[in-house]
Amino acid sequence: MSYCVNCGVELDATARACPLCHTPVQNPNRPVDAELPPPFPSRRKEVQPASKKELALLISAMFASVAVLCGVLNLFFLHSGRPWSLYVVGAAVMLWLWLVPPLLLRGMPLWVRLLLDSCAVGVYVYLISIDLHGQRWFLGLALPIILTGGAIVTALGLILSRGRSILSSVTLIIGAVGLFVVGIELFVDRWMGGSYEPGWSIVVATVCIALIIPLLVVRHRPALRDEARRRFHM
Amino acid sequence: MAREKRQKPVWYKLDNAAMMYSAIQKENYSAIYRFSAVMTELVDPEALQRAIDKTLPRFPGFRVRIKRGAFWYYFEPNGAPGPFVKEDMKNPCQPVRFGEDDGWLIRFFYYGHRISLEVFHALADGAGSLTLLRTLLAVYLRELGHDIPNTDGVLDIDEPPPREEQEDAYFRYAKSRVRKGMGDRRAYQGNGTPEPFYTLNVTMGLVPLDKLRETAHGYGASVTEYLAAVLIEAILAKQRREGRRRELPVALAVPINLRPHFPSKTLRNFILTVRPSIDPELGDYTFPEIVAQVHHHMRLHISRQEMQAVITRNVMLQKNRLLQIVPAPLKNLAMAVSYKIAGCRPYSTTFTNPGAFQVPAVMEPHIQRMEVILGQSYTPRANCASLSFGNTMEITFAGTVKESEVERDFFRHLVREGIHVKVISNREE
Repeated sequence: MSYCVNCGVELDATARACPLCHTPVQNPNRPVDAELPPPFPSRRKEVQPASKKELALLISAMFASVAVLCGVLNLFFLHSGRPWSLYVVGAAVMLWLWLVPPLLLRGMPLWVRLLLDSCAVGVYVYLISIDLHGQRWFLGLALPIILTGGAIVTALGLILSRGRSILSSVTLIIGAVGLFVVGIELFVDRWMGGSYEPGWSIVVATVCIALIIPLLVVRHRPALRDEARRRFHM
Repeated sequence: MAREKRQKPVWYKLDNAAMMYSAIQKENYSAIYRFSAVMTELVDPEALQRAIDKTLPRFPGFRVRIKRGAFWYYFEPNGAPGPFVKEDMKNPCQPVRFGEDDGWLIRFFYYGHRISLEVFHALADGAGSLTLLRTLLAVYLRELGHDIPNTDGVLDIDEPPPREEQEDAYFRYAKSRVRKGMGDRRAYQGNGTPEPFYTLNVTMGLVPLDKLRETAHGYGASVTEYLAAVLIEAILAKQRREGRRRELPVALAVPINLRPHFPSKTLRNFILTVRPSIDPELGDYTFPEIVAQVHHHMRLHISRQEMQAVITRNVMLQKNRLLQIVPAPLKNLAMAVSYKIAGCRPYSTTFTNPGAFQVPAVMEPHIQRMEVILGQSYTPRANCASLSFGNTMEITFAGTVKESEVERDFFRHLVREGIHVKVISNREE
């Protein structure tokens, strides 16, 4: 029998290392027995991950029935000259895109999900623009803003999903807000006047940068970080 | 054509603990535990299957499937063929899927000398499952030609199952005037690095019981109290190494078998947990002080009156008319949340010691030792369980956590106290 030189526990004759501290077994008088069966089987087995198809089906059926019902009512009974049911249908489509694909596709990467979610918002706004005859503002203003927002959220999600510290997360979120605000003004200016004249968004962006700089300094100076932790009891 | 008169299927309600376990069962959590008997001879799987087929009709509470009603889950007798003995696997205690495997909530495995029984905790607690395993082992040995009497807790498989074995004993004893709640403080969680889906790292220590008992008595404590104290010490050390600014209490969930306190023959769940804890913010405790704390806490709180008040509160929630009409999916969600708050957060880990496994004297030479494994916990940490047979106490750490520091410190402590420990594990080296 071999003992772990580190833990002092007796080891199984088939063990190559101590299971507790991973120190290799080196016993010239008694080499590791490769013939004996190990104390536990080596065959791995896994139960199927729980299927979420039923839940996905149930949610799809609920949204589909609401959408169809409103569509039919709009067409035949409560026809007010306006396609009001598009609001309901759009909401159903958006919620469906938010909820169901993640249930069906288990290993869906986060960035795909976030992009899909922002596209769903775009679809909803598009349906609203149909009712309001607003193709122009949709293409000129709403779509660029939604796409910019989606891209920023996706990038943020990708960076934050790797587990950042509180300070880094806050810095990144403030930076993203500043960027988004500048984007909004750019699109609004171009749509309203045709040319970009930086104004109010620069004020917001400056405030964001003013917040980011001290956070970055604190983040990268260990002494300041500890101080912040102490002060805030983190 | 004369239609066959359809017999109304019998069904029964889940008991108080079972409701919790079935509500919180999810993809990566397993309320499954395993008892194994390591025999002296290699296991004959065919004889074992015959023994299972003969034994299970005596235990109707295990031959069930779980169904979702509008307001509650319920059990229904399972007429499907099986359960069948399977070859054992490296990662035991896989989570249960209510719809799969023909709805079976128990599983049987064999590997070399080892016979294993896995039970979904909603069916029965350790005491009930050990009765099933004891009877199964007796029937199995009879299949191999040995003469085993129906004594020492081996049930007679030819007699009809008495009703009192299926009783919901919580209900009978929920008679206290006071309803005592469990509003415990958050404890140190001791989480480590999670292993990939679904790995269960098992490390077992085999310890001579006489020496262990002698050491425990040296501290004026029982074996359970002593082992709980060693575990608390190991977790305290882990927390100290992490260098937290403010240390949290280390608390264990120790399930207590209620049958010695409240007479009942039930084979279903009848347990409550006590919570021995050490708060390192009060100051550093020496090991004898930890043992004393655990010892006195357990002696103080394992009282019939106090436990009855807790039972009453749990059952009252179940009896509440308003809560009864909440649909099952909502109820499950609420129970899962409350389990996280009341069943997970106040505890650092679970330590259970179902005690000594007794068998008739003629069976003893056929069994080397008994083993117990608790399934995956909600969070990446190791659960601890122990079971003794003859002079061998088997202590298991099982969890989906990469690090092995808690079990290392635990067994090193035993070695330092002069107790011989043999360690076996399914970890890859």
